[in-house]
Amino acid sequence: MRMPGVAGRGRCGRRKGDGVEADELLLLVAGGDHNAFEQLYGLVSGPVFGLVRRVVRDAAQAEEVAQEVLLELWRSAPRFDPGRGSALSWVLTLAHRRAVDRVRSARAAGEREQREALRAGATPFDQVSEEVEAGLEREWVRRCLDRLTALQRQSVTLAYYDGYTYREVAERLRLPLGTVKTRMRDGLTRLRECLGGAA
Amino acid sequence: MSLLDRLLRREDPHSLAAPYALDALEPAERVRFERHLARCERCAAEVRALAEDAVRLAWSAAAPAPPALRERVLAAVRATPQEAAREQHTPQLPPHVWGTQPPPRRTRAPRPRPLMVPFATATAAAALVVAALFAVQAGRTQDQLNAERDRSREIAHVLAAPDARAATGTDAEGHSIGVIASASSGRAVVTLRGYGTPPGGRVHQLWLMRPGAQPRSLGLFSGDTPLLADGLEKSATSLAVTVEPDGGSPRPTGQPIVQLALESVGFGE
Repeated sequence: MRMPGVAGRGRCGRRKGDGVEADELLLLVAGGDHNAFEQLYGLVSGPVFGLVRRVVRDAAQAEEVAQEVLLELWRSAPRFDPGRGSALSWVLTLAHRRAVDRVRSARAAGEREQREALRAGATPFDQVSEEVEAGLEREWVRRCLDRLTALQRQSVTLAYYDGYTYREVAERLRLPLGTVKTRMRDGLTRLRECLGGAA
Repeated sequence: MSLLDRLLRREDPHSLAAPYALDALEPAERVRFERHLARCERCAAEVRALAEDAVRLAWSAAAPAPPALRERVLAAVRATPQEAAREQHTPQLPPHVWGTQPPPRRTRAPRPRPLMVPFATATAAAALVVAALFAVQAGRTQDQLNAERDRSREIAHVLAAPDARAATGTDAEGHSIGVIASASSGRAVVTLRGYGTPPGGRVHQLWLMRPGAQPRSLGLFSGDTPLLADGLEKSATSLAVTVEPDGGSPRPTGQPIVQLALESVGFGE
């Protein structure tokens, strides 16, 4: 059977999916549209919350930070310009910055060490559902992270997921600063090439 | 910090693009680098590309937000006014998202813009997959969670294939289909987004399109849950989804509602 409209690439090219949706929603949100905000919340709250929790490693604090970020998304939506980057990138970058700020001040105050000590014996929270939730995407990124050299991977993940500055990363890995900067750059670029198989 | 270190850093601000994109600068350095960014278009473009890469790392950490958060955020939003669009003040958002300046006023002559790096489709594919996984999460029993986890493992095998690649497509209404496939193992994970459940007890059925052959059923979708397909021939050209009566059909009975070419994921030989 020949299916109508099926020639060549068919109806679908390789195009942005949720990215476009989020951009369009954010433009509506910029006009004060509460409905659009609720929809946008549905798209971004999971990634925002998950990322913040990954960095601050504490569900209660993650909720606080995620709330700030999502409220800021609403407040500053009128300043969004899709020509300068995607909405998803915008909100996740903001979320990451806030999470890192939080974890650094907690670390400076020594709270984190205390919390970690307290939690050492406790059941890891929500572990089962967490595995199910992001398993697929996590595997996809992990697969690409695995293709980096160990130093590239550590440099990138200590900074991004653990919130260390590149100076701290250099200390932890006992590498010169210049090397860490290069590993971060090469790591991100290789990650792009690997994940970019999707682009 | 040694003087030498300080001198070296000042001599080569470009090298801070990656640490900046990863939010791995100290506050003072961050400010200094942003000042440099304002004068260096090449750096701004590089930072933007690297920031998109960093955002991909964010997706793999996604997890459903607690329901209470939604209520709190929506309540806060109702009580919070938005900023004025054209207000001129220091941007509170990370400058590498906006470039180094707030968006220019529309009334002003446009300034030369740094090179734009297109938003990567990989992130969109990731969004699709993550959203699909959220959809299956709510209200599951432990048995169901275990079954999901087993399936996640199977899916992980597809992802682990050395030639695994991803593609997404969006139709005119903004609904999307996403695939992560390995041509060498003939396996794929396919997700639908935004199509909901067809009315009247009908179902979404996935078909493999091959040249000179009948469409072959790859299975039925259950909501937004990803579908695992195997036995995909290398000659396959595309995936198509049709709406079929409950239980599916041996052959498609209608036109595809969405279709995705497989060429970009290594098929079509």
